Amino acid sequence: MKDVRLRDVTVRFGNVHALRAANLSLTGGVVSAIAGPNGAGKSTLLQVLLGLVRADHGTLEIDGVTVRMNEALRRDVGYLPEAVAFANNLTGRQVMRFFAFARGVSRNHADRVLERVGLRDAAKRSVRGYSRGMRQRLGLGVAVLSDPRLLILDEPTGGLDQEGLTVLWSVLAEYKQRGHVVLLSTHDLSLVEPRVDRVAIFRKGTGIAEGTPAELRDHVGLPIRVDLSLTDEPSRADAFVAAVEQAIPQLVASRRNGCFSVSIKPSDVLDLTRLIGGNSAVTQLRFVEPGLDQVYEQLLKEPAHA
Amino acid sequence: MPRVWLALAWHELSERARDRWVLLISFVFAGLASAVTMYSRSADGGAAQLTGPSLVTLASLLIPLIALVLGHDAIVGERERNTLGLLFSLPIGRTGVVVAKYTGRLLALTFSITLGFGLAALAASEQHRGVLSQLWWPSLLLGSAFLSLGMLISSISMRQVTAVSTVIFAWFVLVFFYDLGLLALLVGADGRVSSLTIERLVAANPAGLFRVEMMSRFTAKSTLVDLGIREQSLSRMAPLIWGLWIVMPVACSGIFLWGKKSV
Repeated sequence: MKDVRLRDVTVRFGNVHALRAANLSLTGGVVSAIAGPNGAGKSTLLQVLLGLVRADHGTLEIDGVTVRMNEALRRDVGYLPEAVAFANNLTGRQVMRFFAFARGVSRNHADRVLERVGLRDAAKRSVRGYSRGMRQRLGLGVAVLSDPRLLILDEPTGGLDQEGLTVLWSVLAEYKQRGHVVLLSTHDLSLVEPRVDRVAIFRKGTGIAEGTPAELRDHVGLPIRVDLSLTDEPSRADAFVAAVEQAIPQLVASRRNGCFSVSIKPSDVLDLTRLIGGNSAVTQLRFVEPGLDQVYEQLLKEPAHA
Repeated sequence: MPRVWLALAWHELSERARDRWVLLISFVFAGLASAVTMYSRSADGGAAQLTGPSLVTLASLLIPLIALVLGHDAIVGERERNTLGLLFSLPIGRTGVVVAKYTGRLLALTFSITLGFGLAALAASEQHRGVLSQLWWPSLLLGSAFLSLGMLISSISMRQVTAVSTVIFAWFVLVFFYDLGLLALLVGADGRVSSLTIERLVAANPAGLFRVEMMSRFTAKSTLVDLGIREQSLSRMAPLIWGLWIVMPVACSGIFLWGKKSV
């Protein structure tokens, strides 16, 4: 399983279009994320991929072959549902061992996974007493238990503390390194941004943008902030600021205590660096790119993109 | 598939063994069955002869209730707890999940019935142990039919509270009011309803079929004849009717889930 594609997927529930001709491409060794506001169709898309929801229209292709998600394929799929829950009267270890038995995994391996997700000490406690973050960790353990080649995580960061997030990041890094297909849905793009390679933004059941974080930034063209530390000599500093303001029209700038901050369009970055080059008025330079969450907000304001 | 199926059935059994409601009703059943046999043991001949019918009445009341309680949350309960998606993500089909759940819960029901009659047998005389052993298998059939009905109700209900109300309603209708309705029909029709119709109506209800089958073993044959029921005809139909009652609701449950767009 190296290449997974959903093509033109439409799902209707009564009069509500959960998905409208949605497309998604996933590749082995690439961590992909889908993001979108509530009701964008993220969870439905994941459930179509798992075969939990039947599409009215559209196809699922795995390695170039059109397939229907069935029992045999699900052997290679790990799934963490949103707000995962378990039978309350079981302990963490019992939950893990049940899924281990169902998936043909040894008890020892199940115990190791439980340890990996940081639940060894809570293994004998009833799931009823688990916090949301602990249930999320247990769910993550269940999802990776059989070392699936397709890992689907629905809002995996929900309720996780820093330790839990560290476990999640290590799982994502490991699956990426091993060439497995990973897809996660999220509301919090700023949190997952450093860990994902590709992002698809959904709105009202349709993908409105898709690409690497850098591609999405370029596509949206949000201003980049450049923080410049200027020399103590006022005359040289003033001359530099004047030169910048003249060279780059419609510049948004602020100056305070020897620090000059400008917000410029990505296309003006080159002009600015030319001005800085060799200019001793600038002692320090820092580029601050817009966060993926800002890109996401901007994309949601715009009409649909290709 | 068999491994997932087995895991799921075992999971169901172990979860049900921890379910306080199932345990409570099972122990109530065991306690009442033991009380009946203990009373019969100490009573004189006349009262002792009522052991069979008393146990039949007890079983026909409580076993459907235990079975319906066991079945009512099989699907809708998982859906409300948000655990259904995780189960259906296992390498097993929707129908397979239903069958595995039914099997696990049927094992729990078997345990419950065996516990009830087993404890009663400890308190019973040698003669009454025979009565209890004759009751075990038909009681299991009765329970299987109601468990199957409970599974169907659970599959088609959107909320657990709806499933609870529906199983209680089904219990009242099939266990209490159905027979009363038939009685009213017999009296009201004043002989205009044929015995064949009566037989078919009795057999259409698993609780009625169970009572008639068991009463034919433990009471005078004339009782059934007075009600217009021919025991021979009923015993020929019984396996088919039990089979339909046990298989059809579970099958419908599986078909219903299989046909659903979303689980």
